[in-house]
Amino acid sequence: MISFTLNGETVETDADPAMLLLIFLREELGMTGTKYGCGAAMCGACMVHMGDNATFSCQLPLAAVQGQSIRTIEGLSENNDHPLQKAWIDEQVPQCGYCQSGQIMRAAALLNTNPEPSETEIRSWMSTNLCRCGTYNRIVKAVQRAAEESSS
Amino acid sequence: MSEPVELTRRFLLKAGSLTAIALATGGIRLQAVAKEDGAEVFTGWVEVNPDNSVNILYPSTEMGQGSETGLPQILADELDADWNQVNIVQLNEDDRRFGNPAFGMVLYTAGSSGVYAYFSILRQAGAHLRDMLRQRAADHWGVSIGSVTTANNTVMHESSGRSMRYGDVVSLPDFASTELTQAVELKTSDEHSLIGRSVPRRDIPAKSTGQALYAIDVRVPDMLYATVLRSPVEGETPASIDEEAARSTAGVVEVITLPDGVAVLATTLHASFAGRAALKVTWTEQSVYRQFSSDSTLASYTDIAASDQTGAAWREVGNVEQSLAAADRVISAMYTSDYAYHAQLEPMAAVAHVDADGKGAEIWAGTQTQSWTTRTATEVLETTPARIRLNMMTMGGGFGRRTELMQNYVRDALLCSRATKKPVKVIWSRTDDLKHGAFRPAAAQHMKAGLGKQGELRGWHHRVATPSVIQYFNPIRWEQVKPKDIISMRGAENKFYDIPHFLAEHVITERHARILPWRGIGAAYTSFAAEGFMDEIAQSVSMDPLAFRKSLMGDNQRGAFLLDQVSKMAGAVALVEGRARGLAFAGYGETQSAGIVEISLDRQSGRIKVHHAWIAIDAGQIVSPDNAHNQIEGGVIWGISAALHERVTLTQGQVDQENFYNYPILRHNEVPPVEVFIAENHEKPTQIGEAGNPMVAPAIANAFFALTGRRIRHMPFTPDSVLDLLA
Repeated sequence: MISFTLNGETVETDADPAMLLLIFLREELGMTGTKYGCGAAMCGACMVHMGDNATFSCQLPLAAVQGQSIRTIEGLSENNDHPLQKAWIDEQVPQCGYCQSGQIMRAAALLNTNPEPSETEIRSWMSTNLCRCGTYNRIVKAVQRAAEESSS
Repeated sequence: MSEPVELTRRFLLKAGSLTAIALATGGIRLQAVAKEDGAEVFTGWVEVNPDNSVNILYPSTEMGQGSETGLPQILADELDADWNQVNIVQLNEDDRRFGNPAFGMVLYTAGSSGVYAYFSILRQAGAHLRDMLRQRAADHWGVSIGSVTTANNTVMHESSGRSMRYGDVVSLPDFASTELTQAVELKTSDEHSLIGRSVPRRDIPAKSTGQALYAIDVRVPDMLYATVLRSPVEGETPASIDEEAARSTAGVVEVITLPDGVAVLATTLHASFAGRAALKVTWTEQSVYRQFSSDSTLASYTDIAASDQTGAAWREVGNVEQSLAAADRVISAMYTSDYAYHAQLEPMAAVAHVDADGKGAEIWAGTQTQSWTTRTATEVLETTPARIRLNMMTMGGGFGRRTELMQNYVRDALLCSRATKKPVKVIWSRTDDLKHGAFRPAAAQHMKAGLGKQGELRGWHHRVATPSVIQYFNPIRWEQVKPKDIISMRGAENKFYDIPHFLAEHVITERHARILPWRGIGAAYTSFAAEGFMDEIAQSVSMDPLAFRKSLMGDNQRGAFLLDQVSKMAGAVALVEGRARGLAFAGYGETQSAGIVEISLDRQSGRIKVHHAWIAIDAGQIVSPDNAHNQIEGGVIWGISAALHERVTLTQGQVDQENFYNYPILRHNEVPPVEVFIAENHEKPTQIGEAGNPMVAPAIANAFFALTGRRIRHMPFTPDSVLDLLA
């Protein structure tokens, strides 16, 4: 039996400890906001928070999340109103949208530790996450907007 | 002045087919709304409900381009609908009444065609219903239609102060029989309230909160998961299968042999992947594709391009042969490009639930065509379209990947579901998606130019040696269009320049790999060759690249304006020392675009970096400026990625790459500022989604020449190839 905290609630499962957290979230719990993109920690579509860190859920077997606190896009905010989510809408960031949960989770971890990142810091930090539609510059703007709104 | 509406056959459809449309979203049905010439008329595009809400049909599919908002916006404008009351209804069937006029009424979301192809129909449908609402209200009030106006879902008679909500007008007796006493009038440009306005996209909130559902996300009760071990080389089939270890994997319930692979079905995705890893398949070794490696393929295409072999004329003006023979000087160059992969971030996935009799199915898929997804199902199940129930899911990127006539991910879900009598989700891993992808074709292009005594460009010969994409991916279409292949050749028409003798021709080469349309289609490589070569010609006649291009504009004032505009934009920013800029003028279809990029080069590593990009584009009337900006910027970034990184290679028929670690695409820290200028006018709308990328690769290559004096004539410009050029 593996147990961990997911978006503030305790989850207990007897699923195969080798099952990847990504697959567990998506296919067992139906929490499909976290996306499968590459399975190789190369695209960031699967990004979740483990504790304070943004991490690739495609690389985490359930055994590795025992006792950990996991947060997904579904648990990022109470009413889908995290400053980043609002900024994503205000800046009209997404195109296909498939990478955006991962982008937002990655950016949220940045703002938690660095509330006023420079553009260079944002681009560097976000480089784990791919966007094939090419919304990168809007992502940077949205992160900056969220940072400004959070600090004001 | 209002334009008269031409009510086409397409627009006026008989009510006999009324029952054919049952839309899946919340049971909403679009109804008959008009009578014309005594016959009942069905528009089907829109209905107003008694509760004052408005349902507008969305005939395309959404893959990030934003037309799910943009197309209904066009209709809503002419209807004077209250946008907040508009429901957008996805068309979930192969109903050709709503087909794409740019593709012979096939339901097909491709070629950046949505806005330009549907623009007129959507306006007519909206205007027609608006005038019915005006007429019915006028009849009710006993006034003339001319004295009745509309705004925000409301009909008004100003002189008496009366008004009615649309929902109340359609509730009046016999609304559907309303007879118009005057011709339907479209709005003039200055009357538009939604067309030309940056209406927020409807899909963005769900895509910013993890709530948007893609095909890969679909879960239905009692569903099995299938992953497929596919033949490593096209054309091979399983020779022998050792299923034992796979079947004994916990959770695996079935192993099914497919036409080109073996599926492992399990109660969890985890178990399916584990079972597949344990599966042992020996493949046949008879496929002709085993002899093909990408290096030798490109070499053979290059030989063909360099030979005198003639091809199918794609565009011809004057007599290029004579003009080259009579030229004072002829220059030539060979340009080549590798295969490239779509890398849409959602790998292929589909869910199918086949009916108990095996002759019908519900399907959840993200594809660029209701028509060919339906056809895939009817072919596989040997049934009729009426038995197929589609759920067209929003796509995690399309870029041409989801356009095929036979969609094998949908096919496999159907075959697995039919065999197990359960719903089945087929998921491709990223490695499946890349190794079994279908690519932008490799191409060799021989460019020849004939120059007059004063260095004037007299003749242009562009020979493209590449396979026919259409012949492979859509043989039905090929029968209609052959030998003209717009997918392989687009861009080579180069029609924005005024060149007196011109020939672009397609030498159709043997296909050595699976190929598909790819963002920008032919223009993704023909514009690289054409605009790289254009710079070479300018250099050979000692002219500035901008001035030389402007000298070829002829009557093309819009093009000349874009060249000046982009030059002005870049000119406002000081060039950083050690860097250089390059210009290109390309576009896509009817859309013209001029671009400049600024690059630097690390001579140690051979790495090119793009520091800034400027693009000026004219796509006629823009429906949604902010979304257009996003699309164009995305296109530019796609172009940089393609130019600098993207290459698929094959060795003896097998794709060498596996994942983003050996098929890199552009990342955040490589993305430059992209400044976009969109011409404002009310000309006919043209393509947007693919108009950003074609000019990027040649602009980078031309900047590289400005920096180093060396010409890049092979794409992509990877560090190793750059070092070779500098050596």
